[in-house]
Amino acid sequence: MERTDGILRMLKINYASSQDDVQGFSWKPVLKIFTFLEEAEIDRLSHNTRGVLQYMITGKDNPNSVLNMVTLARENGRSVQDHITKEMWQCLNDFYHTVRQEALIEWLQKEDPVTILDMLIKHGILYFGTTDITMARGEGNAFINIGKYLERAIQSADILDVKFSDVNYALDETTDTTYWKYLLMSISGYELYLKTYRGGFEARNVVGQVVLNDQFPRSVVYSINRLHRYFERLKNERNVADFNHIDFMIGKMKSKVRFSTPESLIQEGLHHFLNETKNSLFTIGNSLNQNYFAYT
Amino acid sequence: MQTSELLQTYLVDGNTWDEMYADASVREQYKKAVAFMQQLSIDELNKKEELAKRLFMSQGITFTVYNSGEGIEKIFPFDIIPRIITAAEWDYIEKGIKQRLKALNLFLKDIYSNQFIIKDGVVPAEMIYSCPHYLREMQNFPVPYDIYIHISGIDLIRNSDGSFYILEDNLRTPSGVSYMLENREITKRIFPDLLPQNNVRSVTEYPAILHRNLVSLSPRQIKNPTIVLLTPGIYNSAYFEHTTLARLMGVELVEGSDLVVDNHKVYMKTTSGLQQVDVIYRRVDDEFLDPLAFDAGSKLGVAGIMSAYRKGNVAIVNAVGNGVADDKAIYTFVPAMIRYYLNEEPILKNVPTYQLGKDEEREHVFKNITDMVIKKTNESGGYGMLMGCAASEEEIIKYKAEVILNPRQFIAQPIISLSSAPCYIGGKLQPRRIDLRPYALCGPDGIDIVPGGLTRVALTEGSLIVNSSQGGGSKDTWVLAH
Repeated sequence: MERTDGILRMLKINYASSQDDVQGFSWKPVLKIFTFLEEAEIDRLSHNTRGVLQYMITGKDNPNSVLNMVTLARENGRSVQDHITKEMWQCLNDFYHTVRQEALIEWLQKEDPVTILDMLIKHGILYFGTTDITMARGEGNAFINIGKYLERAIQSADILDVKFSDVNYALDETTDTTYWKYLLMSISGYELYLKTYRGGFEARNVVGQVVLNDQFPRSVVYSINRLHRYFERLKNERNVADFNHIDFMIGKMKSKVRFSTPESLIQEGLHHFLNETKNSLFTIGNSLNQNYFAYT
Repeated sequence: MQTSELLQTYLVDGNTWDEMYADASVREQYKKAVAFMQQLSIDELNKKEELAKRLFMSQGITFTVYNSGEGIEKIFPFDIIPRIITAAEWDYIEKGIKQRLKALNLFLKDIYSNQFIIKDGVVPAEMIYSCPHYLREMQNFPVPYDIYIHISGIDLIRNSDGSFYILEDNLRTPSGVSYMLENREITKRIFPDLLPQNNVRSVTEYPAILHRNLVSLSPRQIKNPTIVLLTPGIYNSAYFEHTTLARLMGVELVEGSDLVVDNHKVYMKTTSGLQQVDVIYRRVDDEFLDPLAFDAGSKLGVAGIMSAYRKGNVAIVNAVGNGVADDKAIYTFVPAMIRYYLNEEPILKNVPTYQLGKDEEREHVFKNITDMVIKKTNESGGYGMLMGCAASEEEIIKYKAEVILNPRQFIAQPIISLSSAPCYIGGKLQPRRIDLRPYALCGPDGIDIVPGGLTRVALTEGSLIVNSSQGGGSKDTWVLAH
């Protein structure tokens, strides 16, 4: 669900920017972050707005399409109906039926895409809100949040990585300010950026906010802090060894990120850092899966 | 009804310049847009209009009208058909406005310092000193970077032959720029993909440029100067605009009571104590800015702010006292100023203007009153004016009497017919009169004009008054790229 929300917001802002840019707008970064398409496919789609929307939202052959993700989320929800609240289940189910309806495909071709994206985003928000106010603060809730923040941290790292690879990680060159503006807007960080940094757009500040600002709800550090917090709730007598193992991994990554500065990241190499962070997150995800959900 | 009929019902008045139509065919720049509209049904167009209204409402893009009995919050009527300006037209406008602003800025600097223009007999001294917006408080005070007009919204109109005229220079606190930004957002929503197809230049840079300029004005050379937007408060008709601009620039929105002056420095009250303010973008008029210097009854301003300003501890945008340059009586002298300061011929023309303070000109105006529009020199927003062709006998007699009492306060201009542009009204395209207000930003690095502006529309058939307070609306304004 977190990925769905991320994708929808990304689509909305990128759509807005496609309407603004006279030349040069391309869907390439979005497709790189969120799809498994081959380079050639991406090139083919990158200037076809409606095609991209179609593929990303209702594409049946795209494992990361909103349709497929919501379907999976609903399947998951259905299998654990006894652990989630009825309200949550209904939210998921409603969302599922909304993205499945035939008319959506036609709307995406003809109508104003923002209206449709807004509607879908609202479904997601409804789900988050409902979860927050109805779910008991037990294990189930902890797992939901762990998944959510794992995904969010990976997403933020991914978005940064792709956007910076586009400018060859040249952090000192001032690129077009709208470039950073739309990047920040797509993760709802634009207003915070304006309030934090008064001096206009600088790449290092963007890195600072998206990786290191612990007040920015989509930053890597915030997501990791949250991840750790929810993970700690899983502690009980029976799983001490496994718990300690994963706790160590999260703690290690957390301190690495916390004690970094934009300068140190740049010195280390932004790509290297983001990649390593992503790998640690994947490893944590896998360990969680093995230790808590695998039967072997 | 089929939409190809959309154009058949479009009847252009022969004596007006129409932005879309020339000699019964659609102008090049409108062709793509018109073709797009034609493939839509009336139903779809209606739906789009509906959507536009809903978007304005849900975003709270409303304005408040003074002196209206009921429902004071209104949405600014928005017409869905864009107004299109070609690249060549825009280059011309841009050049003209830059030239004019340069001269006006020099004029303000001159008037508030050496007054060469008076000594050389180009502008009579009484014109300056009789202007209520001339402020002695500004005399011999060098403003930062010699910039007075940081933000301007000069109004342009088009005559029947298509040439541009300056209608008014708004150099104090011009408003409406948020509508320029919001109208564009709405167009993106209601006509997906139409903007990139037409190569329309973007206007979103405006807040960034303004912010950059404001930062560069800070008297303290520090990394993070504190910039605030001073609003008269939630009852102001442009409050929506103040909040929008503050949000888009990431600056604090304050009212007069949020600021205090201590030892000639301006501070903002915050939850963690006082914080020094470096730059104030104020949307409060001069006379209410400082109860110690101007109107003592003002609750909108900050006591002592003028002394902080004169000490150079705070920058105020726009500068105080600009009203002397956009006074409607001074307007007549702007072409002369351009020649005097820049030694250039004015690019954009003035509308011929009669000073009612001069006996022979007043005679002439009174004789031809039905072809004239008479305005008060220090009023804006379309208040206190008389349209000779539309007024009744009694109104004219009453107005004349008012003029005689204080002729300096009035000017008259021949009624210029304004160009017309297509509007979607009542299910069909109809021509309505429009003007254009591009926004120019002047900073230490020069003048930037965002390619676009606010096109105001007189929504009543045949009307020539575009002011929002008088039943006007607006359109998205497209400037095409080369």
